[in-house]
Amino acid sequence: MIDVRALVLAYPSQSALDAIGFAQRASEQVSITVLTTRGGEKYSYRGVEKVIVANVEDPTPDQLAGLLEKTFSSYDIVVAPSSKDSTDALARLSALKNLPMFTEVNHLEPSGDGLVVTRPVIAGRAYVTYSTRVPAAFTVAKKAFPPQSADHEPDVEEIEAPPASMVRVGVEEKKFSGVNIEDAEVVIGVGRGFRKKEDIAMAEELARLLNGAVGCSRPITADLGWLPEDAWIGISGKRIRPKLYMPIGISGAPQHMSAAIDSKLIIAVNKDKSAPVFQYSDYGFVIDLYKLLPALIEKLKQRKRT
Amino acid sequence: MNIGVLAKASIDPNMVRADSEGNILLESMPLALSEYDKNALEEALRIKQEKGGKVIVLSALTWGPTSKRLREAEQVMREALAMGADEAHLIVDEALIPGNPLTTSLALKALVEKIGGIDLILTGEGSMDTVSYQVASRMAALLGYPVATFARRLELLDGRVRVTRDLETRLETVELPLPAVISVTGEINKPRLPTLLQIRRAMSKPLNKYTLADLGATVEQAHVEVKEMKLLRVARKQVLIEESDPEKAADKLIEILENEGILK
Ligand SMILES: Cc1cc2nc3c(=O)[nH]c(=O)nc-3n(C[C@H](O)[C@H](O)[C@H](O)COP(=O)(O)OP(=O)(O)OC[C@H]3O[C@@H](n4cnc5c(N)ncnc54)[C@H](O)[C@@H]3O)c2cc1C
Repeated sequence: MIDVRALVLAYPSQSALDAIGFAQRASEQVSITVLTTRGGEKYSYRGVEKVIVANVEDPTPDQLAGLLEKTFSSYDIVVAPSSKDSTDALARLSALKNLPMFTEVNHLEPSGDGLVVTRPVIAGRAYVTYSTRVPAAFTVAKKAFPPQSADHEPDVEEIEAPPASMVRVGVEEKKFSGVNIEDAEVVIGVGRGFRKKEDIAMAEELARLLNGAVGCSRPITADLGWLPEDAWIGISGKRIRPKLYMPIGISGAPQHMSAAIDSKLIIAVNKDKSAPVFQYSDYGFVIDLYKLLPALIEKLKQRKRT
Repeated sequence: MNIGVLAKASIDPNMVRADSEGNILLESMPLALSEYDKNALEEALRIKQEKGGKVIVLSALTWGPTSKRLREAEQVMREALAMGADEAHLIVDEALIPGNPLTTSLALKALVEKIGGIDLILTGEGSMDTVSYQVASRMAALLGYPVATFARRLELLDGRVRVTRDLETRLETVELPLPAVISVTGEINKPRLPTLLQIRRAMSKPLNKYTLADLGATVEQAHVEVKEMKLLRVARKQVLIEESDPEKAADKLIEILENEGILK
């Protein structure tokens, strides 16, 4: 495909470069228009033809969808970073314009007059490669398409945002700990095998002794709120790639384990010999975590002292 | 107050089969009721208890071959009926296989219109096999309804619904007029398990099947083609250590950490 025209929804704006990197790879000849909202223009959009800034600061997904509808005309591809609101907006546009749409794409190749894209499937345990016609819509996986730099200064245009139809009656910001499990060399994983919030102190102690960070399964954070959501490992949380991942009291659901597949070494602790986590592990300790962890922590402390 | 629940017969991600080259053997993987669609159904049953009306399950078979999959899909519908749904409606048509959100949504929209009188449509945040997160938003756009995705709290008001959306950095409470489409998270509730009696009763509840022609719908043919589907495989040692003495198990673990270069 030559001369691809790409519309990039820069929302959330701090992740827009993921989507721009995707658009740059769609063809040798690509012209990119970025659609952003107020505040988004402060990011530099390298090599982009045009930036359209909508006069809305905190858009609702229906406003994003409305903006896309307003701007979408002769574009071949519409691209956004993977986020809940941008996915919602792109899916609405796709329905109205009869576009195929692919979420969390992590690989792209131009092919004939269409595109070949790859995305995870079956809870992340497999990947599927599609060839698709254009126009089509895509959300892209984090960090999958590092943007190439270019000097071009984009033209800036302003656009009126449609009124919000979804009425917000309350907003509660989430609290994060700032832990970075994505780049940690050692990650200790906390699962439902931990009976109380206080017991997570054992995992934290172990992480300290191994210079690592504490991550967790979805129920520990999303359901119970025992850890902040930046510790969430899985297809709906973070992907990790440490030297060592230690899932403890985690059953090993595919939605969890497929986000840890790039770990060099996996050592699981689970008292149930038939837990699926052992199939994903190099070493599996079949033991009660409440027995193993105190002994392990004590021995590691001793080892440090000598 | 009639509630439609979009429920998918999904490939069970716990039962993956692949050949020696890693190609996924789709046809030998069983279908099951998608995990978070159970939460949508549970929420619908809860609302029904309060407000009355019917809970109507809507589904489109998206995995083939239909000859083999039809029975499995019916089984999944029976499971939803056993949980407490009043009736189930299933679209079975070769044109929808393999499914993609574009064609699935067009078919389900036609089904919603055919049945009529549905005030609220619920579904899971994503299906457990393809996890595309699109169908709720697409359905809403096609029907001209408002939509709220990732609901972890849902409250019915007079002619409106109040929903708390679980987003990446915040919880956002919004209000939408009915009819509306809502996708729910796995955290919104704990789905009930059907009793034996309910399972038996489900056999006599209505389960209607449709082709696209029955619905007066057509979907545009394959501009999307699946080229390959492969298992992501990493060779793991899978050494199991069944040492019940904590001291010895800890020693063994430290030895492994040393040998693997984690502890110096
Ligand atoms: C669309 C979708 C997306 C999802 N996304 C994610 C995701 O991103 N991340 C995620 O984690 N999950 C995700 N899930 C949920 C996932 O399917 C599992 O439900 C979840 O991972 C289970 O968490 P767990 O292992 O902590 O709990 P459980 O499955 O309850 O496992 C607890 C384990 O602890 C063991 N145990 C209990 N007591 C002890 C003890 N004393 N000592 C040692 N072991 C003990 C038990 O044997 C058991 O294996 C998703 C699901 C769906 C459908």
